[in-house]
Amino acid sequence: MLESIVEFLILGIVLGGIYALFSTGLSLIFGVLDVINVAHGEFFAIGGYLAFAAIVLLHLPAAAGVAAGAVGAFLLGLAVYPLLIAPLKRRFGRQPQGSLFLVLTLGLSTFLQSSLLAIGGGDYLRVPPYLRGIVDLGFTGISNQRLLILAVAVLALVALFLFLYGHRQGMAIRAVAMNPDAAQAVGVNLTMIFTLAIALGTGLAGLAGALIAPLFNVYPAVGFTFTVKAFAITILGGLGNLAGALLASFLVAIVETMSVLVIPSEWQNVIAFVIMIAVLLVRPQGLLGRAPAG
Amino acid sequence: MILTVDDIHAGYGRLEILRGVSLTVGGGQIAAIIGPNGAGKSTVLKTIFGYLRPFSGRIALHGERLDGSRPDQIMRRGIGYVAQAGGLFTEMTVHENLVMGGYSLRDRAALRRAIDAVYEGFPLFRARRRQLAGSLSGGEQRILTIARALIIEPTLLLLDEPSAALSPRFITEVYETLGRLNSQGMAMLIVEQNTGVILDAAERVFVLDMGASAFDGTPAELLADDRIRRLYLGSDAA
Repeated sequence: MLESIVEFLILGIVLGGIYALFSTGLSLIFGVLDVINVAHGEFFAIGGYLAFAAIVLLHLPAAAGVAAGAVGAFLLGLAVYPLLIAPLKRRFGRQPQGSLFLVLTLGLSTFLQSSLLAIGGGDYLRVPPYLRGIVDLGFTGISNQRLLILAVAVLALVALFLFLYGHRQGMAIRAVAMNPDAAQAVGVNLTMIFTLAIALGTGLAGLAGALIAPLFNVYPAVGFTFTVKAFAITILGGLGNLAGALLASFLVAIVETMSVLVIPSEWQNVIAFVIMIAVLLVRPQGLLGRAPAG
Repeated sequence: MILTVDDIHAGYGRLEILRGVSLTVGGGQIAAIIGPNGAGKSTVLKTIFGYLRPFSGRIALHGERLDGSRPDQIMRRGIGYVAQAGGLFTEMTVHENLVMGGYSLRDRAALRRAIDAVYEGFPLFRARRRQLAGSLSGGEQRILTIARALIIEPTLLLLDEPSAALSPRFITEVYETLGRLNSQGMAMLIVEQNTGVILDAAERVFVLDMGASAFDGTPAELLADDRIRRLYLGSDAA
């Protein structure tokens, strides 16, 4: 029994890395722009497709495939603010209702999914493992593929936090998330920061999609379940709170993975929402969100 | 004149707040905007700094037009802006706020020198550099906002009610700071409700009422004008 617990705990930590990449990106976009990116899962899928194209079609090394997934999703994400969100803001005013952006990103999600279907077809595309073999722990083995996923996810998240806290533009992103007017007053170009924040978010999603492609295969709707779960994780962590998204990601992943020890696996996907509801009933602002004033 | 505001009409959405406001600020001068609540005083500053685009009119700094520019562009032209409230990054430390004040400075050595100069002028912040800005008292936050605006050595500082919600001790401290900066040549345009303190500090006063200019002159001229004094300062003002 103990061996099973440890085994599933490790699997949960690995899955947490993927959830963290995905949810942190979503939380970053919401924190800076107050926009819920319903299309986030499609950038995850795009990352997988780009990894497939690089590795399977172009016979490039795995590292190039993962990089292609991340960079490609980042570059596509650069187009989202100037082409979609900024025109809506100009048309309706400085900060139109959030529901308008929700519908906008829902439209983007549909467009991207349809495009992936048209370009890649509906078949499940297989990406070969980036690393073969396992690490033998005696009572169980963890695949090198999963360890690679965790390592890259952790490195990427560390790099993100170093950027946000140590780099001029990263600090500007945090500043805009806290106080856009004050950020402008110190010389920050909001358009540039909004564009960068979205691209960073989609780049993280693309990286996650590329990393996990060998495990989940690649198909147009592969990001859907992740997106829905990421909403729960982001709310659970505290909307717009990156550390909260990180914490919630690993919490949900570990509980979800270990839940199969006690409940049927068909209920696994419900875990995230059960945890979210349970926490919000006690702490409405989420794990690390700020309590409302008054 | 370093700042010229000429016949500005501006507002929020389709609601016109400013109806033909004109004012000027000379080099090294402290100019004040006073008037009743809702007169549009803060709207003047927001329009000058680019948070609002004027419907019509002209705003110029050293003769070059500002209207139509973004706040980050106007800031780079040498204008600093100190908001009435909520001007800090409260979840950043004092030091991080000052670093952000120098966001437009590409030269890291210049930024370090500028921050050191702020710490020299405001020793309180050197001791509290690692403290979250949101945990400072209201007066300390207001002074930090001013200190942060000084990082880029602005030619003109726009201040929106710098004494609002402050204790008398901090009001004195804020205006002593502003007086010190002005003695070093910095021009200021200050929106203020506290007419007692601003009329002592300002060399020129603009009175705004219902979005239009109601008076333009020196504090002495304002106090000598019975009608204006009664309407905007109360009959007891002298």
